[in-house]
Order: sequence, then C-alpha cells, then structure tokens
Amino acid sequence: MTSTLPAPAATGEKAARRPRHPYLTALATARGRTGLALVGLVVLAGLLAPLLAGHPPTDQSGLTLAPVGTPGHPLGTDDLGRDLLSRLLYGIRADLGIIAAAVPLGAALGCLLALAAAAHPAADTAVQRLFDLILAFPGLILALAVTAALGPGRLPVVLVIALAEIPVFGRLLRTGILAQRGREYVTAARVGGSSGRRILTRHVLPNAADPLVVQIAVSLTVAVFLEGAMSFLGVGVRPPEPTLGAVLSQSMPHLAQAPHFAAGPLVTVTALVLGLSLVAEALNREIRR
Amino acid sequence: MTTPLLDVRDLDVTFTTPDGPGLRAVRGVSFTLRRGETLAVVGESGSGKSTTALALLRMLPGTGRITGGSVRLDGTELTTAPEDELRAVRGTRIGMVFQDPMTALNPVLTIGRQLDEVLRAHGGRDRAARRARALELLSLVGIPDPARRVDDHPHRFSGGQRQRVLIALALAGEPDVLVADEPTTALDATVQDQILTLLGDLTRTTGTALLLITHNLGVVARTCDRVLVMYGGTVVEDGPTAEVLARPRHPYTAGLLAAVPRLSTPSGTRLTGIPGTPPDLSLPLAGCAFAARCALAEDRCRTAAPPLTALATAAGPVRAACHPAAERSVPLPPPPPPVRAERPAPGPVVLAAEELRKTYRGRGRHRHTALDGVSLTLRAGETLGIVGESGSGKSTLARILAHADPADAGRILLDGQDVTRPGRTALHAVRRRVQMVFQDPYASLDPRMTAGDIVAEPLRAFGIGTPADRPARVAALLRTVGLDPAAADRLPRAFSGGQRQRIGIARALAPEPAVLLCDEPVSALDVSVQAQITGLLTDLQRDLGLALVFIAHDLAVVRQVSHRIAVLHDGRIVEEGDADEICERPRAAYTRALLAAVPEPVPAARAEEFAA
Repeated sequence: MTSTLPAPAATGEKAARRPRHPYLTALATARGRTGLALVGLVVLAGLLAPLLAGHPPTDQSGLTLAPVGTPGHPLGTDDLGRDLLSRLLYGIRADLGIIAAAVPLGAALGCLLALAAAAHPAADTAVQRLFDLILAFPGLILALAVTAALGPGRLPVVLVIALAEIPVFGRLLRTGILAQRGREYVTAARVGGSSGRRILTRHVLPNAADPLVVQIAVSLTVAVFLEGAMSFLGVGVRPPEPTLGAVLSQSMPHLAQAPHFAAGPLVTVTALVLGLSLVAEALNREIRR
Repeated sequence: MTTPLLDVRDLDVTFTTPDGPGLRAVRGVSFTLRRGETLAVVGESGSGKSTTALALLRMLPGTGRITGGSVRLDGTELTTAPEDELRAVRGTRIGMVFQDPMTALNPVLTIGRQLDEVLRAHGGRDRAARRARALELLSLVGIPDPARRVDDHPHRFSGGQRQRVLIALALAGEPDVLVADEPTTALDATVQDQILTLLGDLTRTTGTALLLITHNLGVVARTCDRVLVMYGGTVVEDGPTAEVLARPRHPYTAGLLAAVPRLSTPSGTRLTGIPGTPPDLSLPLAGCAFAARCALAEDRCRTAAPPLTALATAAGPVRAACHPAAERSVPLPPPPPPVRAERPAPGPVVLAAEELRKTYRGRGRHRHTALDGVSLTLRAGETLGIVGESGSGKSTLARILAHADPADAGRILLDGQDVTRPGRTALHAVRRRVQMVFQDPYASLDPRMTAGDIVAEPLRAFGIGTPADRPARVAALLRTVGLDPAAADRLPRAFSGGQRQRIGIARALAPEPAVLLCDEPVSALDVSVQAQITGLLTDLQRDLGLALVFIAHDLAVVRQVSHRIAVLHDGRIVEEGDADEICERPRAAYTRALLAAVPEPVPAARAEEFAA
C-alpha cells in the first residue's frame, strides 16, 4: 500500500491552535466590539431599570417639563410631571422585551415554513404564495390591520413584527437550502446512502445558516423601528406604559420648549440601531470571506 | 544583444494574512523577456506563476503587495510607477489574456462594443476607424466572417471563439508583451490546439513577446522557445524549452516530466509521482523549496537556498537552482521506462448498462440530449476508461450509473439484476455496491464536517459496525488511502487538493463497494499529485478487486489506467475497445482528432530515447 502521508499542518504549534469560530473572530474586530458595546449598554440599562430609575415610570410629580439636571429628575420630567429617566429606562425594557420575543418568533416560523417548502414542491408553491401575501402589505398597514382586529397592546406589536419577519427569514433560508442542495457534497452524501432527512439536517442546514445569523441582527434593528413607529402612531403598547416610541410621540407637541424631552429616546434608538448594524456588518464581512 | 524588453529582478510578493506572518508567494524571481520572444512560466498550483504575472502590472488580488525587487519595461520601473502611468502601460504595452473565456467577456455588450471600448481608451480615433480596426483584429484572431459576427453578443460564440475574442481585446492596444494566464486550461484539447497555434502565429507575425503561464508541459513544448520552471515561489530552472524538457537539470523538473502521462505509455503501467506535498508558503524557508520532496537532497539543500546558477550546455544557457546540479556536468539520468504493474484478470460482469438515454429540457422547447443510447459492461477488477470532451455526456453517464439522476430510458444491470428504477430498500442496497469519487475535491466535501465524520457518514448510513468501532474503521480507511489517521478531526480546508481527493476516495470505499465510479478524479489536481492518485486507485483495484469506471478528458491518463476505453461524443459511444488498441490504431475519425490534439511534453527526438 502507499506510504502514509503526514497529516497536514501537523508540525508543532500549528496543530495545537484550533481555528476560532468565524463568529467569534467577527465579533472580536473593532467594528464588532463597538457594536456589542453599544447594544450591551442599552440592554444593561433596560435590565437594570428598576435599580437605576429613582421613580416608578408612571408616578406624577408637581413639576411639569422640568429641564435636564433638576434635582431628583436627572433627565427632567414630561408634560405630566413623570420622571423622564425612569420612563426612558422602562421604555427600553419594554422595547427589548417586545423585539426579543418577536424577532425569534418570526425567524422560527419563517425557517419552519422554509423547511416545509424544501420538503415538497407543492408545499413550496403554497409557502411562496403565503410569503408574497404577507409582503403585499406594507409594514404599517399590516400593523393597523392587526391592531384593528386585536386592539392596541403589547401582543399586536409582537405579532406584527413577527409577521413582517416571517417572509424575510423564510426566503433567505429557502434560497440557502436550494443553493446548498445543488452542491456536489450533497450529491456525494446522497450517493453515500445518507437519508434525505439527515442530508437536510447534517449537511444542508449548517451550511445555509450563516446568512440567517446576519439577518437576525438586521431584523432586530428593523423591529426597533417598527415598534417605535407603532407606538408613535398610537397603535402600539397602551399608555401610560412607556415605550421609546410612545415617549417620542408624547414629546412632539413640546419640541420647541423642551427639546430634551425627545433626546433620550432618540439617542437610545440611534445607539441600539447603530450597535446592531455594526454587529450585523461585522458578521457579514467575516462570513463572506 | 540589446537590452531586454521586460526585465524582472528579485521580485518578492507577499500576501498579508490576518494572523501570523505574511504568505510569501513569490520569492526572488528574476527573468528577462526579449522582443518577439516566447517564454513559458510553468509550475503547479501555489508555485507563484500567476502571482508573478499579475505582479508585473501591479494587479495583485486582495492583500498581495510587491515587497521587493524591480520590474522594468524598456527601462521604465513599474513597481514604483504612479497609478495613471501604470494604466497607460496596461493594454498598450502589456496585454493580458485570462483563463476563463466564459466569464471574462461582458455578456450584455456585443463584442464589437467591447473592442470599441478598448480601442477608444487607447486611441480615440473616429468611430469608423475603430470599427475597421475591430474587424481587422477579429480576422487576425481567426473569427470567420468578422463583419457579421462583430455585432453578436458573447453567448453566440463557442468557448474557443471567446478565447479568440479575448486575445483580440488584448491585442487591441498593440502591446509589446502579451501575458496569457492559463489561456487554454478551460478549453477542450482540440480547441486548445487551435488557440496555441493562433498564439504562435501572432507572435511571429506581429512581433509581440508572449509570456505564457501554464501548468501543462505539453502546452509549453508546443508553444514556447524558453521555459521558466517555478516551485514554491522560486525559479528552479530556466532555459531553452527543448533543452530543459529533454535534459532536465533540476530534480523537480525531472520529477514533473516523469509524472506527466504520455499518450505513448501503454495501458497498465504506473506513473512515478513526486512524493509529498508542496511547501507551506506561510512558513519561512531556509533551504531549497523542493528539498523535502527531493530524492537527491543533501544536507546543504535544507540549510542554504541554492542560487540560480548558469550551466554550460550545448543547446544554450540553462540555469538551475540546485546545489548538486551546479556541480554535475551531465544532465539527470532519464526516468526508468514505465513498468507494467501486474493486474489480475477481470472477473465476471458486475455492472451493465443498456441503451441509456437522458434528455435535459432547457428553456422553452429547447432540448439537450446528453446521452443517446449508451451501452457498456464492466467486469470485476476491470477499469473502463470513458473519454470525451466537455458536453459529451460523460458526467451525466456517471450520475446515472450512481443513481444520482434517473435515466429517461434504458436499463442498468447490477450483478445481472435490473436496478434501473429501484425502490427505496433496493436503492440502498445498490448504493452499497456502487460508489462514486467526484471531480472537484473542494466542492464534494462538506466544509463543516471533519474528515473523520465525512468518511464515517456512509458507515452510519449503511449501518456498518457499531458506533464504538467506527473510529477504528475510519482510521483504517484513512490509512488505506495513504492519510494519517490523526488527521480525522480536521476540517476539509486544512487539506491540500490531493489529500481531499484521498478523503473522497476513503468515503467511497467505506461501504466496501464492488464498483467505483470516478468522474474526472484527477483533473483538478496537479500532475505530481495526479500520479499519486491514479497509483492509489490502481493499488486499490488490485487489493480489493474493485471494478472502476474512470472518466476523464485526458486520453493519456485514461490509457494508462484503463483495460478498455470507450470514447464518448455527443452522447454516443463512437468507439470502444482495448485501451492500447484504441490509442495506437483508432478507427473513428473523432478518436483520431482527439489523439492528434494532445500536446506531448517531450520533443520527438527525445521520445525515441524513451522508447529505446
């Protein structure tokens, strides 16, 4: 028999150094670190809201539209005398709760539909038309329709965001599966006797999943906007419960006298969206290499 | 002698990597090119030949940078020239032709528009003059009826014609040097022959110097006066083609020549591959790049890099970078004549196909018949070679025999039983007996599974052994194909092309099949590795009594490994018979054309010496 070749790169320390997971490498870049820091800051503020806020978010004091730096109200108060810092922190908390529930829900449903589409041509047609149907409604029209049916509140917001994300994830995964299924290693696995289910779960899905991870970061960004827009239009979470969009909406009539009123939510949404975008971009660059 | 047109001195190119030191792809390469001269740069993948060509015009991809040396064109330094000066050089002084004619033309523009664009960038003459020049260029490169074809889009041209159009584009600026990077690698042998003839004619008639980058020694022998052999980013030998290929001084050149399959080599012989794998260019190199694989290496070869030393020969100046060669006055002895390996006589028929047909439906009413009534038989312990050019249906045949695609009509018999349309359990049984090795060792392995998991996959699928003893079986399989079992926990990207193909073969051997279908198993590999893989397949056949279907476009490889050969053309078998018989006394006109188009690496005079 032929002589045994040495293993590749078997020399010394190179074999000991296992390659790092590409996601970790991506998050360790300057772009990834900045994004993570921004997101982490906002998430921490939301998590620690009960500790950081001096007042409950719906308590009213005598001071209305107090400026920044008022003793006891570091960010001032709103037109009803409620502490703005507290409303901002609890707003973040509410927002994060919504997007953390809605985006994974939408992603999971989208992926399930994509898997169904991959299983059978008839299911594929049905799923494709369903996606088209959802995409035919612009996000806000969908939001108004759902709210009209269910009434305002937290649940409709979660549902609207999840609905909007279903076709995005579904189409992405379906494309990935189709692309991977045509690759030669899948034919090799088929000729090697592997069952259809094993080929899908062991070969196709892991190789089609990379774009999904990037899409999650992008979708979280979109969800922040969508929640903000719904609350801003008054079809979101019911007042007096604070959300970032609701605080922003409330501040609109007072922009001239009290610009600081809108500053908190604006800065927070910007930081959150910027952070998530940076993370998505960092992951995307690393995966495409 | 006048000053050379192109003078490259001590060129160094480094690719920076995110972690660790850079990858030194080109190390101290020097050569000159005179006006009207044809120079071939030959080497295997990773030898730095393409990088050298791209570095001439500073068109290095990614993180590549020139880190030392000089490139002078007529005395003008190009490595430090400003970008706009360089742009003037590109196209007007140095033209480039790339490997893949299918993707190098813009599909939405007519070829007339594309030629016009280049001519305008270089001349700015009036439109009628540019059009006249475009027609002139197209007829120069042998496009028939240019006045009619100039307004056609690229998709209306065949691969060979597109390569001609690309050559016309490169010649539009009337360059002094034409750099052709593997111009015929993507083309069939008969088309390759035409393009090489064209390049040869053009250099003679226009006086353009040609720098041809290739891995194919036959192409070198066919086209160029002078040859530069590269290995591991360095030049190992350089001299007149006839002299270097007939009397190599460097052991690498000699090894490469011995590894190239020849059409004249009879069936059943073994090629001598070069053992080992090319050097890792990210590691510093102390001595000769080839020392680790060289049979003649001495201690000093591993410690001191040999300089390129001029050796006195009768035929002209030959330079070789080798310590022992510098002291030797005679060339290396010719390789021993090929020996016939003992092969067991083929047994009973295992696999038979009768009148297989396959038609692919294209857009609209267009249909493409890939297989048109193909019948064949395969005996145990026998190798059936299937040769054909692209589009002849050879891959379709392999996929149908492997039950990856269904046939439209015809029958497949395995051990005398009809398995054309097997049920689920029958298909599983068929797959256990018939396995396949794929062409592309990069695409055919799941990038996220370790080598061990890839080889264990069929064991799982067919329920062979218990989970506990599978690692031992995987280790044994890896050893069978010549890999270290310790490599089982590495991902495919940690392996070289040849090693990946070994993993693919181990996977195919895992269910202990009776038939192994090899679809172009060596066409993506370098010649020195190709010889290792064909040797491995021959050994496995002898030890395991496998029946092999060996599909390839290279007749020389097929002759050497096969008992019988079937020549496939347009979905039909035009000729079938004993391997030696077909290559020496072909009956079909198509087989004769195929045989005539294969370029032989060794000039005729020397070939007689081999035969003697």
